[in-house]
Amino acid sequence: MFRTEEMDINMGPQHPSTHGVLRLKLTLDGEEIVDVRPIIGYLHRGVEKLCEYRTYPMIEPLTDRLDYVAAISENLGYCGAVEKLMGLVVPPRAQYIRVILAELQRIASHLLWLGTHALDLGAMTVYFYTFRERELILDLFEQFCGARLTYNSMRIGGLLEDVPPGWTDRVRHFLTIFPSRQKEYEDLLTVNRIWLGRTRGVGILSPEDAVAMGASGPTLRGSGVDYDVRRAQPYCSYEQFEFDVPTGTNCDTYDRYLVRMEEMRQSCRIIRQALDRLPEGEVRAKVPKYIKPPVGEVYHVVESPRGEQGFYLVSKGGEMPYRVRFRSPSFVNLQALPMMCKGRLIADVVAVIGSIDIVLGDVDR
Amino acid sequence: MTDEKDDRQPGEAPAAGGGESPAAPATPAPQAVAPAGTPAKPAAPAGPAAKPPAPAAPPAVAPPAAAAPKPSLLTQPVPSVAVDRIKERFADQVVEIAYYAGEATVKLKQDRAEEVWRFLRDEPDLRFDFLSNLTALHWPERPKPFEVVYHLYSLPKRQRINLKVDVGENEQAPTACRVWPTANWHEREVFDLFGIQFHGHPDMTRILMTDEWVGYPLRKDYPLEGKPEDHLQLRQVTTAEHVYTFDKSSIKGFGWKKEVEKTGEGRG
Repeated sequence: MFRTEEMDINMGPQHPSTHGVLRLKLTLDGEEIVDVRPIIGYLHRGVEKLCEYRTYPMIEPLTDRLDYVAAISENLGYCGAVEKLMGLVVPPRAQYIRVILAELQRIASHLLWLGTHALDLGAMTVYFYTFRERELILDLFEQFCGARLTYNSMRIGGLLEDVPPGWTDRVRHFLTIFPSRQKEYEDLLTVNRIWLGRTRGVGILSPEDAVAMGASGPTLRGSGVDYDVRRAQPYCSYEQFEFDVPTGTNCDTYDRYLVRMEEMRQSCRIIRQALDRLPEGEVRAKVPKYIKPPVGEVYHVVESPRGEQGFYLVSKGGEMPYRVRFRSPSFVNLQALPMMCKGRLIADVVAVIGSIDIVLGDVDR
Repeated sequence: MTDEKDDRQPGEAPAAGGGESPAAPATPAPQAVAPAGTPAKPAAPAGPAAKPPAPAAPPAVAPPAAAAPKPSLLTQPVPSVAVDRIKERFADQVVEIAYYAGEATVKLKQDRAEEVWRFLRDEPDLRFDFLSNLTALHWPERPKPFEVVYHLYSLPKRQRINLKVDVGENEQAPTACRVWPTANWHEREVFDLFGIQFHGHPDMTRILMTDEWVGYPLRKDYPLEGKPEDHLQLRQVTTAEHVYTFDKSSIKGFGWKKEVEKTGEGRG
């Protein structure tokens, strides 16, 4: 006489494939997942509260620490929000340089994702390859602003300084070598039988569910919904660049992988256009010495590598914001995790967590 | 700075003191995402040159011909189908409509809020199917101290609209979970950090702070460094002595500014 009973098991918060301090409470029936309850907050630093006690320029370094894998996207969104609040117009050269930085950051972030995601699923080699190219991008960032992870790279109204001499040529050099390198990763994974077995049909999120759960970025586009903020509501002169928004069809982990791979190619395309047409001129608008936006509130949205990154600023007219809210894509995307895991095996949870690409600094803020 | 102007009136033009909005983009494009809409502008420096931001400490006489409070480009109303439809269908539910930087914000009454949400989500020419963000604001000086803010986006129509609902101190807000399931975690976070309960929410528990936490950190009366009694309470629960060493001198709000002047050093 056999008898089965459900078992609760903890995954994390210290688990290598949760990509940070994420704790999952799994309810299992044998090896099959009955329920998943994500428990978050281990990295909560109260950034929103801190922001209420800091002046507008002092908040930018804090935004670096939200999504520390894609700090430039956060900088871009935050500066954009303050500029919108003040009605500032950023000079075209600064906008183009911002686009180049943001797209390089997208590639770097996707490379980190690809390496760790593949590592989680047992493909060790890809990790070394992707980190080799990510290193090149970090070198470019270091030459631009001196930092390699938390950049504080922009300023309200533009950039602190123009790019250093020869920097654009080095970016071009990167663009010439990167496509062949990307082919190497794809050779390793795209038609790899083990990779297909681990990712195909795993973590299915239907388009309706994805929209209802507020998913965004590659998680949403992998489900076939064509929504990219850069295209839908362009900011920072994205409307001047030609690029495609890749979408998936099977709504599974494999499609999300394909979407991100294609996004890297599109990012290269955008950078190439921006370099070709890089305008001359100032890199910073005329900004008052003390930044005191008028009374008002804005919600500014940018497309970070993880999805729709929103910045809600409320100003009462002082030099510090009354309220700052970061709408982080990781936080919202993570909410769809139980939906994607139910009925699958425990090993698939690892694949699904990897495929939604969360950063816990962004989830917990 | 907190006491200089307590009650914010969104409809009003921004106080002249902060009026340094230099020649905002020529067209207040309705869906203008970023103010930096038109980069075809000839040489950027020309833009600010039209009206330099002027340190303008005494701003009083600056606006020339225009009447007293110069209506800023930022607060100009923008055409919005959604706002028109709400006004037409739920005229009695609208408390006020504010515009800022191309965004429309509609404040609704609480009682029929869910009906309005469903209307916005399902109406074929609106289709606000994507709840982008949900959060709250705390205005301690108001009779109803909380505002819950909803940022909606319509994937098919590529529009945005912001909604607000006032919530009193001991009131429950209506939950949006039944309309947009994504509201679940957002509302838990608002409950966690502001202490606003949502009526009908399936799982009203803390999400970011620990379950044992006392108090609601994002309220304005909650000090930046936390409250000592909360830490004591936590200490009892966790029985860890090193959880937090509370230093009273560190509660200074932003008194750090004076310290910088005095000592030339960073925050103590």
